[in-house]
Amino acid sequence: MSGKGIEGSLRRAKIFQQLTLYIPAAVLALLVLAAIFAPFLAPYSPTKTALGQRLIPPFFIEGGSTAHLLGTDTLGRDILSRVIFGARVSLSVSLLVILITSTIGTVLGIIAGYLGGRTGTVLMRVTDVSLAFPAILIAILLAVVLGPSFKTVVLAISILGWAPYARLIRGEALRLREADFVAQARIIGSSPLRIMVRHIFPNIINPLIVIATLSVGLVILTEAALSYLGAGIPPTTPSWGAMVYDGRSLIDTAWWISLFPGMAIGLVVLSGNFLGDWLRDKLDPRLRQL
Amino acid sequence: MSKIILQVEGLHTVFFTRQGVVKAVDGVSFYVREGETFGIVGESGCGKTVTGLSILRLLPEPAGRIVGGKIILDGKNLLELSKKEMREYRGSMISMILQDPMTSLNPVYTIGDQIAESVRLHQNLKDDAVEKEVISALRLLKIPAPEMRLHDYPFQMSGGMRQRVVGAIAMSCHPRLLIADEPTTALDATIQAQYIALFKDVQRQTNVAIVFITHDFGVVAQMCHRVGVMYAGKIVETATTRELFKAPRHPYTSALINSVPRLDRKDNRLYSIEGQPPSMTDLPRGCRFFPRCSVARDVCREQEPGEVDIGGEHSVSCWRVS
Repeated sequence: MSGKGIEGSLRRAKIFQQLTLYIPAAVLALLVLAAIFAPFLAPYSPTKTALGQRLIPPFFIEGGSTAHLLGTDTLGRDILSRVIFGARVSLSVSLLVILITSTIGTVLGIIAGYLGGRTGTVLMRVTDVSLAFPAILIAILLAVVLGPSFKTVVLAISILGWAPYARLIRGEALRLREADFVAQARIIGSSPLRIMVRHIFPNIINPLIVIATLSVGLVILTEAALSYLGAGIPPTTPSWGAMVYDGRSLIDTAWWISLFPGMAIGLVVLSGNFLGDWLRDKLDPRLRQL
Repeated sequence: MSKIILQVEGLHTVFFTRQGVVKAVDGVSFYVREGETFGIVGESGCGKTVTGLSILRLLPEPAGRIVGGKIILDGKNLLELSKKEMREYRGSMISMILQDPMTSLNPVYTIGDQIAESVRLHQNLKDDAVEKEVISALRLLKIPAPEMRLHDYPFQMSGGMRQRVVGAIAMSCHPRLLIADEPTTALDATIQAQYIALFKDVQRQTNVAIVFITHDFGVVAQMCHRVGVMYAGKIVETATTRELFKAPRHPYTSALINSVPRLDRKDNRLYSIEGQPPSMTDLPRGCRFFPRCSVARDVCREQEPGEVDIGGEHSVSCWRVS
């Protein structure tokens, strides 16, 4: 191959790599901005019903109008406005939940994996029990006891959500405990805490990022399921998950009710995964200089 | 004669396993002087590495435990130190070099960071003073262009260079004792020779005492001042290197020396010792080498021989000598 060809394909690879960073970053940034400035961006109030304007299709098909770009739902509420406002709930819930669960899971997983012994066994049995519990049931229970609210939803998803992190991180910590560079750290006199923070943790960031980004979708969907069961955020507040569920019985006629919030969920999940990949490459010293 | 820096007396280290208690190190005694290299030679599984880890008190817990003996470093019995005191000793008083340079460095930090970590743990220095120490450690190990290399990640270096970095970490806080556990085994022959020459030089400059664990008599001959030959958890013979090669007294030592391939001999069959080392959970009653010994007598089967000092820093545990 000629030198020019290699250079060309290198340049293309570089452009592609940058696109996989900038596009998802832009999408997420737009959604975050939309969530913050929702009251200014949304053409209508997300909760205002207009029974005379029920089930208007989006503007690009017959019967639609530019007054409601993405159409309206069974109560005549504007879908676009609801998707914009829904970003607030879905994004903040998933961000909070992932922050809480990954922190708890990582701390417990590293302790269980590195220290092992009785502490490790106890922690892992607790994790097993948490994994065995049906999350939805606990969430409903919490909603009944505490009353449905934003805090309840975050708590309900987090309370068991740390367990998969703990499991995975423990496995990694267990593997790294035997690594020579950890032995090396002990040789120079590092304390167990220091080894866990400085030597184990940076080496488990990759799998951590992968499951954290993958769980964005899971959290949004769980939040949706909770809303559907009435254990979620109270119905007047629009959330993407609840909107998808709202439209499920009319999916063959008024598909736009479910489709647009569904697409929003898809965009967030996909952007999350791309960003996760990029971050993982960035954190890997072997790929850092490419 | 320079001062004795490490004195190990009757060290007993055991492992609790499902098959029973394994006496991995069974009454090992030796000493090392300042600026001296003491070699521990033996087959795989004879307890060399466990002896090294015992000195640092880094046995895999809870399975491994030191159950007896004394490890006296510069007048202090290490076995009486608290965990915290022991941590302060590690790195600053004693250090260790592991076998495989490809895995003993943390892949996510630059080598400068990794040497600096050791320096910071034991000395309260400002950042630029730390960097000076790091560079001087890299210089000591003759790593070219240390100011540039300290920003490199381990994967950017060759095996030989990495092992020098491991050496630089070990020497960064000027320890009095260095335990080197087969540091040259993973290197190829030319690099091995360089590394040994390098360490002799490091020793000349720092007067560090070295316990050199190896199975390679060639390395022993080049590196060590005195040698202990280990078999099944015991040191069976200790002597100066010259004496050991010239006049080995224990049949195991002679057998080991005979099994080194030699180019200056006509017969091209390589000598090997018959049989296997005994199972560590089921040791023979008498001498441990008895089942494989070509000159064994009746007494060897019945009773374990004691250590006999035959003068000139040479001692042997064999019935033929006593």
